[in-house]
Amino acid sequence: MKVHKTGIALAVLALVASGCRGGDDEGGSSAIDAPGVTDEPCENAVNEDNGCIYLGTISDLSAGPFAALGGPITEAQAAFWQRVNEDGGIGGYDVDVTSYVKDNLYNPETHATLYAEIEPDVLALAQTLGSPTTLAILEKMKSQNVIGAPASWTSLWGFEDNILESGSSYCVEAMNAIDYLQEQGGVETVMAIGFPGDYGGDGAAGAEIAAEAIGAEFVDFVETAPGQEAQSAAISAVVSQAPDVVVLGVGPTETAVIVGQAAARGYTGRFVGLSPTWNPALLQSEAAPALEALFTHAGPWGSFGTETDGHAAMREALPDVDPNDGYTSGWAWSYPLKAALEAWLDGDYAKTREGLVEAVNELESVDFEGMLPEEAGDRTGDNDIFTQSVISEVDPAAPAGLTTVQDFTAGPTASAHEFTGACFEG
Amino acid sequence: MSTPTIEKSEPSPKDDAKTSRLWGRPAFFQSYEQELALFNTWPKRAGVALVVLVAFFMPFSLPDATLRSLALAFVLAIAALGLNLVTGLCGQVSLGHAFFMGIGAYTAAALSGDSDPEARTIGFGLQEIWIWLPAAGLVAALFGVIVAPIATRLRGLYLAIVTLGLVFLGEHVFREWQRLTGGAGVGRSAADPVLFGYDLRSPAPDGAFTSDQQMYFLMLVLLLVFALAARNIARSKVGRSFAAVRDRDMAAEMMGIDLPRTKTLAFALSSFYAGCAGALLFTITDYVEPGSFNLLLSVQIIAMVLIGGAGTVGGTIAGAIFIGMLPTLVRDIAPSIRFEVWGRVLEFSELPSEVPNIFQVEQILYGLLIVLFLLFEPRGLFGIWVRTRTYWKSWPFSY
Repeated sequence: MKVHKTGIALAVLALVASGCRGGDDEGGSSAIDAPGVTDEPCENAVNEDNGCIYLGTISDLSAGPFAALGGPITEAQAAFWQRVNEDGGIGGYDVDVTSYVKDNLYNPETHATLYAEIEPDVLALAQTLGSPTTLAILEKMKSQNVIGAPASWTSLWGFEDNILESGSSYCVEAMNAIDYLQEQGGVETVMAIGFPGDYGGDGAAGAEIAAEAIGAEFVDFVETAPGQEAQSAAISAVVSQAPDVVVLGVGPTETAVIVGQAAARGYTGRFVGLSPTWNPALLQSEAAPALEALFTHAGPWGSFGTETDGHAAMREALPDVDPNDGYTSGWAWSYPLKAALEAWLDGDYAKTREGLVEAVNELESVDFEGMLPEEAGDRTGDNDIFTQSVISEVDPAAPAGLTTVQDFTAGPTASAHEFTGACFEG
Repeated sequence: MSTPTIEKSEPSPKDDAKTSRLWGRPAFFQSYEQELALFNTWPKRAGVALVVLVAFFMPFSLPDATLRSLALAFVLAIAALGLNLVTGLCGQVSLGHAFFMGIGAYTAAALSGDSDPEARTIGFGLQEIWIWLPAAGLVAALFGVIVAPIATRLRGLYLAIVTLGLVFLGEHVFREWQRLTGGAGVGRSAADPVLFGYDLRSPAPDGAFTSDQQMYFLMLVLLLVFALAARNIARSKVGRSFAAVRDRDMAAEMMGIDLPRTKTLAFALSSFYAGCAGALLFTITDYVEPGSFNLLLSVQIIAMVLIGGAGTVGGTIAGAIFIGMLPTLVRDIAPSIRFEVWGRVLEFSELPSEVPNIFQVEQILYGLLIVLFLLFEPRGLFGIWVRTRTYWKSWPFSY
């Protein structure tokens, strides 16, 4: 009997306790059944009558190797969505990208922890910075139907439904840069240096494919860790093997160290830096002369000072900043997300996260306001891999230190290559 | 047909002394058995039952984010219980706990990982928790036994240095062995908490429980199992020989305690706990990067044992939950704190790119708490508890 009483007491206690736990802590939305969307206006709302869509940001803001880019990317995205809100928002909603901003320190584990923290409160991710970091949350994003604009260009994103990539991948950038240098004057040996994982690895894979295509020898892929002090092995490899072209898949700091010290030790070949290698502050470093002489930048779109409507709108929205292509990228990456949200809210899609994923994958074009061709936003075709990229060279007079030497072009290697999966497979 | 009746024998006075207690005299023990019982006084039994009951009902009233922090704190408590066995109970200083946790984490991750040969990292597809959890503990224990012959020859500072070396050796291997760990800066998925085909990380199909609630229950049950085991080890022959070694190893040897065997056992048991904790630590967020098993993790676990109260199970768990919840507490409280210093308003930012920020507060608090506890309360939270208890027990004559 005693046990019986205890059992009843426990059951009652359980019922009482379960009643205590509140339901939705968010206000929720009457029209949309997805987390991170409310009928209440955003904090600091532009349009008080609009509801609010919360988007999360997981960036590299302080101590990671891409902190010099992560800050500007995040700032540009805040300005981008502010402009969208000032134009009336999207389908009766303002977009808030500033309430859930987290710093991943470029560590995949931290990234995964932060994602778990903000996921219940956001509709999607306005930014998920880094390739290995985003890979760490990709499975969860898929199972929770969360879409995200990446702040990275690994070729795997072209094959992932939940990642709203923009512009060409590292793999394509490396191919196009090697094709370009081949045209400029013969490439016989190619080396790649990069961070471990999908960033360095993807650039190296592209370099290897391009080297094979032009009949050059791919001598080595040197993996290197982030940090100024960790580059000696990479520098020795460059100097001792003296390849014609070295493809760099590292951060800006590492770029300066590798290019500067390899040049100081007599290397005279060509460095190709993938998009995240460049930061105009490098022109104030000791490596500036070496960079001016030896460095070619392979990017997915034109640098900060390029004349397109999108670039101009960005410069207008960010009037007082030191030019940096972190701003350019943050701005450009936001267009597909805007197009997806518009399609989702206006179109005949389920007003859930699943519906948003569906809307994303039926996008046929995205208006990048000229920053990228519209077909770069096509996500429907069998082969929707975008193969055009931009080649720039160092120019201290240009706003972000880069001048375009070859506008959107798909080189022979990238045009002929059949993209059936990620270039880098781990 | 008469069934033979068994006469109830009267309990002998000796048996009676073993079981009966004097009413109103909870601290009066009539036998060793009574004194060494799991809960030797009824207030202890009632207190523990109450705490466990409250812990089981917490998921119904706390938000998921807090539950996640608590579940993580419970796993850290398992690790701290392991360190408490070797350091608190057996007196062998070990800075190498992170190494054993790493071994456990990767054993579990590899066993439970994707068995596709094309996958980036080693995997055997054994997702069941009852396979990978004991395996993680056993492999870590095996490494504990391998390390023990060196450790048993040393003590004090020398042992601390040797175990410190382990952390660095381990970290290097973890960073470089890409097939197993994914490599530095890349990492891999952690073990999957699957119990009889049911993945605890996905919310219950009928929406009855969220994944955080399920993980909380899993970690709570495991912590109770490990805590009970730790308490039982402590009050067994083995535990008492640990304490003897801690108090004076030479005297212990004179009494016939086999020192190498005892120390090896302490390391093996402690590593088993560490391995299991390591395996569980990253299941909640599902991702593990090799840089995590660094000295800081070891120091964090030591802080838990020291702040909680070395040599006690309850204190260690309290310390682990306190340190484990510290980041959550700081993040909740610090942003609302504002100072005015010389006319300037000082606030704690939530972004690490701004100074001062809550992460700095957290780091400073770790160090400060260890120093303050060692100076003013060397017996830790447990010491505070014992003093409070004594005060009220002898009230109104507490002096």
